[in-house]
Amino acid sequence: MEKKSFIKKLTGSREALLAAVLLVLFIVVTVINPSFLTVKSLMDMLKNNAVTMVMALGMLCVMLVGGIDISIMSTLALSGMSIGMLLKNDVIASTPLAFLIAIAIGICCGLAVGLVISRADVPPIIATMGFMYVFRAMGYLVSNGGQWAGAAALGDFKKFATTKFLGINCVIWVVILCYAFFFWFMKWTRTGRMIYAVGSNPSAAQVSGINVKNIKLLVYVIMGLLSGLGGALQVSVYASAMPDMQYGGEMDVIAACVIGGVSMSGGRGSVLGALLGSLILATIAKALPLIPFFDQLWLNTIKGVIILVVVVMNVVLQRIADKNALKGREM
Amino acid sequence: MAGKSGRSINNVPESSIKRMIFSWEGILILIFIAVNIFCAMFSEFYNVSSLLRQMPVYLAEVFLMLPMAYILVLGEIDISVGSIVCLSATVCCIVCNMNAPFIVVVLTGLLVGTACGAVNGFILTKFTELPPMIVTLATQIIFRGIAEITLGSGGSITMSNLDGFNAIGGKVGQVPYILFLVVILAVVFAIILGKSTFGRRVYAIGTNRLTAYYSGVHVQKIRMIIYTVMGTVSGLCAIFLLSSSFGANTTTGNGFEMDAIAMAVFGGISSTGGKGNIAGGVIAAFIIVCLRVGLGQQNVHAQVILLIIGVLLIAAVALPNIIGQVRRAVKTK
Repeated sequence: MEKKSFIKKLTGSREALLAAVLLVLFIVVTVINPSFLTVKSLMDMLKNNAVTMVMALGMLCVMLVGGIDISIMSTLALSGMSIGMLLKNDVIASTPLAFLIAIAIGICCGLAVGLVISRADVPPIIATMGFMYVFRAMGYLVSNGGQWAGAAALGDFKKFATTKFLGINCVIWVVILCYAFFFWFMKWTRTGRMIYAVGSNPSAAQVSGINVKNIKLLVYVIMGLLSGLGGALQVSVYASAMPDMQYGGEMDVIAACVIGGVSMSGGRGSVLGALLGSLILATIAKALPLIPFFDQLWLNTIKGVIILVVVVMNVVLQRIADKNALKGREM
Repeated sequence: MAGKSGRSINNVPESSIKRMIFSWEGILILIFIAVNIFCAMFSEFYNVSSLLRQMPVYLAEVFLMLPMAYILVLGEIDISVGSIVCLSATVCCIVCNMNAPFIVVVLTGLLVGTACGAVNGFILTKFTELPPMIVTLATQIIFRGIAEITLGSGGSITMSNLDGFNAIGGKVGQVPYILFLVVILAVVFAIILGKSTFGRRVYAIGTNRLTAYYSGVHVQKIRMIIYTVMGTVSGLCAIFLLSSSFGANTTTGNGFEMDAIAMAVFGGISSTGGKGNIAGGVIAAFIIVCLRVGLGQQNVHAQVILLIIGVLLIAAVALPNIIGQVRRAVKTK
């Protein structure tokens, strides 16, 4: 009896479904082109998608409380550009300090977004749209009128993305640590559970003594923090900082979450789902050039179709589930 | 709804002058005048004729604001319009390069836009559980993706036959055709939203969708119409965009959806639905157009102008809320 319910749980869970999709994707791509399934290629894939993967965690938190943040890539550009210019002008030289500054800038940006949304009751899409313009423009101003900080100007900082620790690239370590922390944070801490509570039913959460406004502020600060971290990672992985980096990249992060089963209306979604969602997107982006006939031009169309199919499938499955639940009640 | 200031479905016309000045449209007109005085002081080239000469480039986006206002009043959002503009501009260029007559080019542009809008509408009305944000996010990526595939590896296309587009870029005296069209369309959209049964139904859906449905409003039919019209107008925007750019590339129309939403929201149209009118949106749109022309004349970078628009947008929504909160706090004391 118990075993049956376990199997039912496994087949019914969204994460298992996503893992199966990812597995099928891996097998198909490997059959077509065996060079895909090598350690180096997989590590490259993780490294190049580290920014999206880390920021998907923040987006998960924001979407869990029913919000959305489209200003993240502007925050990334502002924090990345700031440390890029600081390194270029030899104000700072140490890598940890650069990371700290990027994260601090990210937190300030997140705080501004969070305060406007939680205290002034501005709808998240409108507020973050405004901040998207503001932070991107600030990044541009920081860059002194569109200058780049190229590889030569970054000094030791760019080495962060090429050094290995225990055989794994430092950037991938950051991703692993973030996911491990958030897995624990969302599941086993009071604050993590509060985020879920606020997302499922804000008024019930309010009545049970959760400060809804502070939780809403918190998720945007987390998002800002991870955007700042993403900015530092972006600069070090691509060894350059420019004011228009990752323009439009917020859609990828949202897409990763949506594919991972995070609901737009809040309360539903998991860290594992966000991980699988971003891995599926990363695999498709990596695999497409390896497959003959499809070239890189098709990437966006395929990505969009996948998002659409996933959300529509969700609705269809939900409708079937509701119908079955009703059938069970019939006499 | 209690605590919701502004217009709702049963708005009572108020005639006193004080009310008019303190309404959002009144404030917007004051801002409009202030922006024009500021621009005139800031740039010595800023006057009516230079404004009319440089306006058409920015006016194409004002088209998008009109149906976007309807979608926002419904309490929804469409972020795929920029990509629809890109796709119809691309297809227009291709058809034009095949030496098709100009009317065919225009019709193709409108048709492509309408088809894209209908796709949005179809998915949203068939699967009503889906949030419009996600669906239009997906179609945004798809439409631009199709445009990227059509454009091929070069990523851009230029038109060989410019006669037709030069013609619609023309002007009567000093006033460009596009300004006439913007004003005419704005009046039509305003009358339909403000005075017709259809418009009242849109407000009803935005205020309370379930109540509207139970009162016999064809919610899905109205949504379908509005999303399709959004597509058609995006096609129109693409055509007028081509009359000044004469070509398309993969970044055509990038961020247009945000600009259109920003204009509408700055004009007092609430993104939570049921509030606002076209007049506010149009005044806000012209504030932004004047700001762009004026600051652009002094070589202020586009990013700085976006910074100002961003701050205006946040302030326009946040300030009334903060004032309301302070007022309530004072009252309870």
